[in-house]
Amino acid sequence: MLRLPRFELRQPTSLGEAVTLLREEGAGAMVMAGGTDLLPNMKHELFTPRVVVSLGRVPELRGITRDPDGTLVVGAMARIAEIASSESVRKQAPALAQAAGLVAGPQLRRAGTIGGNVLLDTRCQYYNQSYFWRSALGFCLKKDGVVCHVVAGGSRCVAAASADCAPALMTLGAVLEIVGANGHRTVAIDEFWLGDGIVNRRLAVGEILVAIRIPPTPPGHRGAYGKLRERGSIDFPLLGVACRLDVGDGDRVEHGDLVLTALAARPKRIPQAASRLVSTRLGTEEFRAAIDELGALAHRQCHTLANVPGDQEWRREMIPVYVRRTLQAAAAGNGPVHHV
Amino acid sequence: MASRDIHGIDAPWGAFRHVGRDLRKVDGLAKATGAAMYTDDIALPGMLHAKTLRSPHAHARIRSIDAADALRLAGVHAVITGEHLPVTYGILPWTQDETALAVGKVRFVGEPVAAVAAVDEDAANAALKLIRVEYEPLHAYLDPFESLARHDPPIHEGRKDGNVSKHVHLAFGDVDAALAEADVVIEDDYVFHGTTHAAIEPHCAVGHYGADGVLTVWSSTQITHYVHRALARVLDVPAHRIRVIQPCLGGAFGGKSDPFSLEFVVAKLAMTTGRPVKMLYTREEVFYTHRGRHPMHMRYRTGATREGRLVGVDATIVIDGGAYSSYGLVTTYYAGQLLTGPYAFATYRFDSTRAFTNKPPCGPKRGHGSVQPRFAFEVQLDELASTLEIDPIEIRRRNLLGEHTTTVNGQRITSNGFARCLDVVEHASNWKTRHGQLPFGRGMGVAGSMYISGTNYPIYPNPMPQAAVQLKIDRSGLVTVFTGANDIGQGSNSIAQYLVAEELGLALDQVRVVSADTDLCPVDLGAYSSRETFMVGNALIDACRKVRPLVVRAVADHWQVDPSRVRFVDGVVVELDDPPLQPAGVAVGGEARPGASPPDAAAGRRWMTAAEAFQLAEARFDTLGATGAYNTPTLGGDYRGGTIGAAPAYSFTAHVVEVSVDVETGRITCEKVWIAHDCGRALNPMLVAGQMEGSAYMGVAEALMEAHGVNRFGLHAGPSLLDYRIPTTVDTPELAALIVESLDPEGPYGAKEAGEGPLHPAIPAISNAVFDAVGIRLKHLPFTPGKVLAALRARKDAAAGTPAPALAGGAR
Amino acid sequence: MHLKVNGDVHDVDAPDHWTLLEVLRYRLGLTGSKQGCDKGDCGACTVLVDGEPMISCLILAREAEGREIVTIEGLWPLHLARGGEGPDPVQDAFDRYGALQCGFCQSGMILSARALLDRTPSPTDEEIARALSGNLCRCTGYTQILQAVQSIVARARGVEPPRRSWEAANVGRQAGER
Ligand SMILES: Cc1cc2nc3c(=O)[nH]c(=O)nc-3n(C[C@H](O)[C@H](O)[C@H](O)COP(=O)(O)OP(=O)(O)OC[C@H]3O[C@@H](n4cnc5c(N)ncnc54)[C@H](O)[C@@H]3O)c2cc1C
Ligand code: SF4
Ligand code: FES
Ligand code: FES
Repeated sequence: MLRLPRFELRQPTSLGEAVTLLREEGAGAMVMAGGTDLLPNMKHELFTPRVVVSLGRVPELRGITRDPDGTLVVGAMARIAEIASSESVRKQAPALAQAAGLVAGPQLRRAGTIGGNVLLDTRCQYYNQSYFWRSALGFCLKKDGVVCHVVAGGSRCVAAASADCAPALMTLGAVLEIVGANGHRTVAIDEFWLGDGIVNRRLAVGEILVAIRIPPTPPGHRGAYGKLRERGSIDFPLLGVACRLDVGDGDRVEHGDLVLTALAARPKRIPQAASRLVSTRLGTEEFRAAIDELGALAHRQCHTLANVPGDQEWRREMIPVYVRRTLQAAAAGNGPVHHV
Repeated sequence: MASRDIHGIDAPWGAFRHVGRDLRKVDGLAKATGAAMYTDDIALPGMLHAKTLRSPHAHARIRSIDAADALRLAGVHAVITGEHLPVTYGILPWTQDETALAVGKVRFVGEPVAAVAAVDEDAANAALKLIRVEYEPLHAYLDPFESLARHDPPIHEGRKDGNVSKHVHLAFGDVDAALAEADVVIEDDYVFHGTTHAAIEPHCAVGHYGADGVLTVWSSTQITHYVHRALARVLDVPAHRIRVIQPCLGGAFGGKSDPFSLEFVVAKLAMTTGRPVKMLYTREEVFYTHRGRHPMHMRYRTGATREGRLVGVDATIVIDGGAYSSYGLVTTYYAGQLLTGPYAFATYRFDSTRAFTNKPPCGPKRGHGSVQPRFAFEVQLDELASTLEIDPIEIRRRNLLGEHTTTVNGQRITSNGFARCLDVVEHASNWKTRHGQLPFGRGMGVAGSMYISGTNYPIYPNPMPQAAVQLKIDRSGLVTVFTGANDIGQGSNSIAQYLVAEELGLALDQVRVVSADTDLCPVDLGAYSSRETFMVGNALIDACRKVRPLVVRAVADHWQVDPSRVRFVDGVVVELDDPPLQPAGVAVGGEARPGASPPDAAAGRRWMTAAEAFQLAEARFDTLGATGAYNTPTLGGDYRGGTIGAAPAYSFTAHVVEVSVDVETGRITCEKVWIAHDCGRALNPMLVAGQMEGSAYMGVAEALMEAHGVNRFGLHAGPSLLDYRIPTTVDTPELAALIVESLDPEGPYGAKEAGEGPLHPAIPAISNAVFDAVGIRLKHLPFTPGKVLAALRARKDAAAGTPAPALAGGAR
Repeated sequence: MHLKVNGDVHDVDAPDHWTLLEVLRYRLGLTGSKQGCDKGDCGACTVLVDGEPMISCLILAREAEGREIVTIEGLWPLHLARGGEGPDPVQDAFDRYGALQCGFCQSGMILSARALLDRTPSPTDEEIARALSGNLCRCTGYTQILQAVQSIVARARGVEPPRRSWEAANVGRQAGER
């Protein structure tokens, strides 16, 4: 078997207990939600925590609820499958439901959580390998080594943000609720990322992601997710595109957003998306021109790297195609964009 | 020995009772309920767990190994290195170039260097980290052309021909003259990348050494017999003190048909420690073990007349062998020898060279050696068709080899249902109204193939039977079959049950099968070259026909009738009318219960159960049993290498595939595959269809998705089932298995193979369908979207500029 | 730790870092759950946890405490206990339809199919394919697996399962055979 390294498992039954435990254990502890990212990584000895704190028995983190103001509150331990099939998520945040529906395969979607997805470790073909493999390579910056094999001479890790749900959450303006030894804080998901592939998120040791708050979307909200991958199931994204179109009277776009992932350490927003889309009318030549232009813009602004396995030139070529198709799907109230 | 007996294709008692039906498998419910025991399911008292230390270098000399710290670790029982197992082995007697653990040198990343036995896997893993190995890295050859161009330092020392693993050059007729006179010659380069088996069960072995000096090895192998021989050689234990058992096996496809490091290691560690030892490879280690499909660089020239008749084929093939020989000698022959059907070649020449490289060793994968050339050639044939404006199915018909004939390289062809395979796929796919007529982006392609059904060549030359079985006839009414055959999921144990029940007139549940245990079963060479059904089937019929007359005689004498009036049907023996008629009124099929009276009894006919009949026979002739054997007739061309690729029968396949191409993403979707396969006779059509579907699936996967190779650092590019992507349910096209039966005169009841042949045409048929869909010819595998887009751009550029020449190779 | 497997509560002793798959196979001797990758890529280790198919190589054994686990070994006895005859209909259909080649993927596959049918008694072909898309099979090309599940759905709907390619198209057969 591919054995896990030894550790001590703690299973707190309340959020308070979990926070205390993590404070006591400090940097030697890691949080586990569904474990579908953490455990394979531990089997590869990417992490060898002394203590694993499971959130599986913490009731405060479960469930999908709605605040009186219409904010959707998704508990960090809500399962990916739950999100994909939740009626309220589908209505209020279609891009998220679509992205969740394309995470991994059916069994893993039942185990994996939204919190774990947002906090998914960045991925790289030189990193997501066994200890033996990495040792044969001589390791790399992200773990145990001093060089990067993706960017020769690079001093910064560019391992890819690969969570499908994260870009969707960005288009939705999600806010993360975090609890730590120093109490409670919230952070807009946009502000959460770092450009460093080694650790791409601002989560202090001992902090727990409690919930994800998705502000209400207007009635004309549309969203879609496009996922490029080799197989129709199981595979991580080779490219992920989330988009948002809030459509008002006369099919006019009132707000737009476009975020791509599986490129570098953090998901990438195309800043011109909003201005370029706003006030175009769906179904018109103008709208078509806008999405073509955004495709071209995204192509210019986004670069694919050899962090993710596969043909990086092809992935880059797919950027405009997937941007266009995903925006089209959103406009039509369809999606996800996926080859099967 | 009843070699060369031809048993005929007819039912032994008139009409078939079991053969030809969609019967359950002998082990189906055991597998469905989790009861079936696979190698890793074995746990012996006091069993230790072993792990392998592997080379981090693609090519290096081992300066020293220091295991002192590892040995001191609590829970560690033994550490062994190459010096403890220095004897070389290899599947072929001529190329014994492997050792269980590296001796002096490592030749690929992941090669076994040392092994630890410990109380559990954690302790063994911890010990591996304490073994210090000093290496002196050497230049690593990752490209076969480089290996052929230089060999300093050589990958294997002391060879006359540098890094050449094998070179074969054979010519039949004057190819140059034929091509010079041809109306049209297609010439091009084709690349087949590497792929691997990826059976879902990782390799596993358990070793046990008794105080009585008997060594038992359970292994997930498809070649129990060769493992037995190799163990004796490497461990220096006489073969009669070794027992090899193959438990239930979780898939193989050729990936478990070499002796492997772990089998020797568990044996040695068991002998060293006096404890049973298990080693289970991780998925990553399975990728290093490999023996998958060889990458091939192929140049083909094919000439034809204006009418599309083939006049000559000329091939030059460079094969990337990886670090060791494995079956490479055979691969190098097969790459040329197996192409000479289902079309008649007037002249033929091939030159194939297998080069060593510092990569995981390649070997046999489903369709060994012939899938790659088949791809190249069938694409050439399609190009020939489009150049000559002949329908692709029609051009294949114009070159049919036919049955009961000989190929240009001297292979004897018996039955041949290829023409019917073409008819069947043409009809089922509505080819005539759809090929060339679908909208841009959608297309259909055809390809054909031929494959060996068994090989006439035992891996080590010997005059003994190639397949042998033994029957034990019990007074309870049970017949136990002992066969060395390896059931690897293809169902060879089930076939044994059906055949014996058919021959002896028993109900299925009266036949149980014990297989692949060298202590209990007569030697069979193993599950490779699609030989089990054909060869073991013949051996089974041979055994049945030795014992059946005894039982019939005993009953006939008891009833005082002529033996021709005694008939076994589904486990009961009935007396037929005089003169004998068909056994009227006996319930067909069903699981007959011995002891229940057949309907005929009411008609006043005499009857008894099979058990009673066996008892009569046992009283009369003593303990009942029989052995049976099979050997191929003398086959093959009269030249060096002429027997390699000679088979007692050949299977034939044609595929039509339908694809759609997304011209914006370059992604090819294989929508449907119509698979027509001539399997001789479908002993169980459902199992035949399962083999056809599984083969076609694998071919499609090799064409579109899978790629096995190393990265620029010489490391395996992604040794996991996440990065080596095999299709899921939603990636698999609709597969229509269309069985064609040609009833081979020498196969058991006319059966041939079904497990490997039906893979071949999928790959070229996809390339040909893409041509129909979007007008590009894909010649380099795998057909990734990036390549498709590049080809589409090239086509567009060509259309915009000067028109591309009609023929890639130039018409003459 | 106490694990409830196939209706029985087992008192098991295993270190924290053991996965559910390891405990099932190597502590409880329930070797019907298979391991093909040990990191979530293949689905061979699928078991039912509270009725849902889950990847047991990525669940810590202790995390499964307090949940109902059903392994392949449990299906037949459970079926009998509920008054059924013979093996579970999914197991039987897989056998009947030739879906079991090497069998190594099949405990996971059968459990995924079982859970689907419990949840959705009459799934479409596409739903079947999607529900099984996390279980890799290398032998069958999936066709006979899908046919096995479809046959159960057809029976439940009271219709005949669709004919299989080689039954429907008799074109390849020699006249007079069968
Ligand atoms: C074969 C395979 C395929 C996959 N395919 C995809 C895919 O296509 N797309 C995709 O996005 N993902 C994929 N995944 C990854 C993973 O399954 C999902 O991202 C899943 O949602 C992760 O959630 P989890 O609860 O299992 O995370 P865990 O593994 O439990 O945690 C992941 C990380 O987040 C931390 N963490 C989790 N929850 C919290 C919390 N509440 N507070 C603080 N820290 C926390 C953990 O410490 C850990 O570092 C795949 C995984 C596998 C094995
Ligand atoms: S990008 Fe990849 S190779 Fe480079 S440092 Fe990051 S993980 Fe390592
Ligand atoms: S063994 Fe668990 S998914 Fe492969
Ligand atoms: S039957 Fe062998 S892997 Fe599925």
